[in-house]
Amino acid sequence: MFANYLKVALKVLARRRFFTFISLFGISFTLVVLMVLTAIVDHVLAPKPPQVNIDRTLRISYMLESGENVEWNGEPGFGLLDRYCRDLPGVEMMSIVGGTSSVVGYPEGRRTDLKLRHTDGVYWDAYDFRFLEGAPYTREDDRVGRPVAVITEAASREYFGESPAVGQSIALSGRTYEVLGVVANVSPVYDLAYSDVWVPIGTIPDPSFREALMGSFEGVLVAESRDAFPAIRDDFAARLERVTFPPEDEFSKLEGFPMTPIETVAVKFFSDRPSRNALRKFTGMVAALVLAFMLLPAINLVNVNLSRIYERTSEIGVRKAFGASSRHLIHQFVLENVVLCLVGGVIGLVLSAAVLAAVNASGLVPYAHFTVSLRVFVVGIALATFFGILSGLFPAWRMSRVHPVAALKGETG
Amino acid sequence: MNGPLATTSGAPGVSTSGPAASTDAFAAILSNAEKVYRTDRIETVALSGVNLEIRRGEFVSVMGPSGSGKSTLLNILGLLDTPTSGRLVLAGHEIADLGDRELSRLRNEIVGFIFQTFHLIADLNVIDNVELPLLYRGTGGSERRRLAGEALEKVGLSARMHHFPHQLSGGQRQRVAIARAIVGRPPILLADEPTGNLDSQMGTEVMEILEHLNTEEGTTIVMVTHDPALGERTARTIRIFDGRQVH
Repeated sequence: MFANYLKVALKVLARRRFFTFISLFGISFTLVVLMVLTAIVDHVLAPKPPQVNIDRTLRISYMLESGENVEWNGEPGFGLLDRYCRDLPGVEMMSIVGGTSSVVGYPEGRRTDLKLRHTDGVYWDAYDFRFLEGAPYTREDDRVGRPVAVITEAASREYFGESPAVGQSIALSGRTYEVLGVVANVSPVYDLAYSDVWVPIGTIPDPSFREALMGSFEGVLVAESRDAFPAIRDDFAARLERVTFPPEDEFSKLEGFPMTPIETVAVKFFSDRPSRNALRKFTGMVAALVLAFMLLPAINLVNVNLSRIYERTSEIGVRKAFGASSRHLIHQFVLENVVLCLVGGVIGLVLSAAVLAAVNASGLVPYAHFTVSLRVFVVGIALATFFGILSGLFPAWRMSRVHPVAALKGETG
Repeated sequence: MNGPLATTSGAPGVSTSGPAASTDAFAAILSNAEKVYRTDRIETVALSGVNLEIRRGEFVSVMGPSGSGKSTLLNILGLLDTPTSGRLVLAGHEIADLGDRELSRLRNEIVGFIFQTFHLIADLNVIDNVELPLLYRGTGGSERRRLAGEALEKVGLSARMHHFPHQLSGGQRQRVAIARAIVGRPPILLADEPTGNLDSQMGTEVMEILEHLNTEEGTTIVMVTHDPALGERTARTIRIFDGRQVH
């Protein structure tokens, strides 16, 4: 039966070329937008270098500090992470990572703006950078505050041209660091892995940050596996209960929880209390947006489909006369529409690959290499199928209800 | 659309057959059937007080002027339409209160249709058109091919299996339509002016095929026709005028 339906579907597509063109244009355009977005999200969240551990990573990156009449939300401080977050159960390693700050250098008298990030030594184990030269700084380098740095290939070229960078000095915003290593350029989409220059936290001159509960650091917890996430969160919550505040502090309570990278995006997006519902709200909102984005072309396709099927009322009558039930006809017309959408999906995938190649070539997102991965392909096909069902069900249902006698006369009433 | 068939008795009507017999002997029994089309303002009586019994293996023609209710009668017998009131027994099945799935199944198993305008599916080739009833019966692919091939053999078109309808003459299309109607071996064939769109030679050929199916295979045939000559070739003629049987 499937083969018969497929045969008719392909014939109909080939015969009504104008309808097919309009339908395919709408479908593939919609899918290109969704697949390009999927490819970007996949690129950001997929476990690949340097974020090889992203699927088993939790981040402590958003806290809410409150007192009797005051609330403050933001990133945790070094003091909170250092004193309360070490040795959580099920955590293989924890790295403390600072945000990026803009620094200025003058290689050969030219002004160069760079991003600098402070990290501990564990950072280089939590992430997997491709070292082109040298090696990262160590925990000991961080502990003693040794003025050393790892820089990107682009920064190395800027400062040292084609010469080796390791062992040379780099002056940034009035401080000088010895270059220990050079890594391949990192795209800004990689968030905590992104920077131009990395230096040890221990090089920060003012030590007051070491006690702060709130500040500008994040904790990166690489768990033994995702199964450990609940225990890590429970233990972290228990530790937050024991946090002591300085006597003069107006705050008395800290809330927050170790979040997956996508939860982090959700919580930061809503700038809300660090709640577990944020992800649900976020995914609900994204799903609603995707649905709304698909709905308009789907409604258009419903109309095109109705016109397409109206031309085939006589066929519907014949099929009913020879034993097709309404259910058979719904299956047939939905399948035909799914076939159409899958053809649109394949065109959409090819166009998406072209759009992504153009984005990569344009340098719009530096050092990013967006591709149509297997995951994107699967999502694309799933979206096309969903789109096919969404836009095919109503016309199919409607036409399946046509009275067989009217249908045989070519009428739809 | 598929409203219940009320069982009525004692209403006036004329039986076109002899004394009452077991329903097993009949391909179709229609008792006191009425079909009324209603819109907001108009009520049109298409059939009224029709009683007929068609024996298994009978070849019956239905004649009457245009708009007299012949096709409505055929549609009711073919379960494409339901009478507003009355009782229908088709091949031993009491047709009442049946849903879409059950009606579809009975149409598939009991009835084969032959239409004046052939109603072949343009996107399917001859063999795929003929297979159609078997498709909805769940018959496997190779068995469908075999049975469709046999049906086409019977109508002399096995050489045209892979042609498309637009590549065939009117007579050939009607023979394909007959093959489609008989492929599932339904006990009843309903033909709505099967020769109406054919020239006399093609019409004669089609009529001969129908007669052969009736005499050699015992298929019950109910044929609507305007042609008195064709009517005379059938065992019995039911005449309809203004929705009523006449004698």
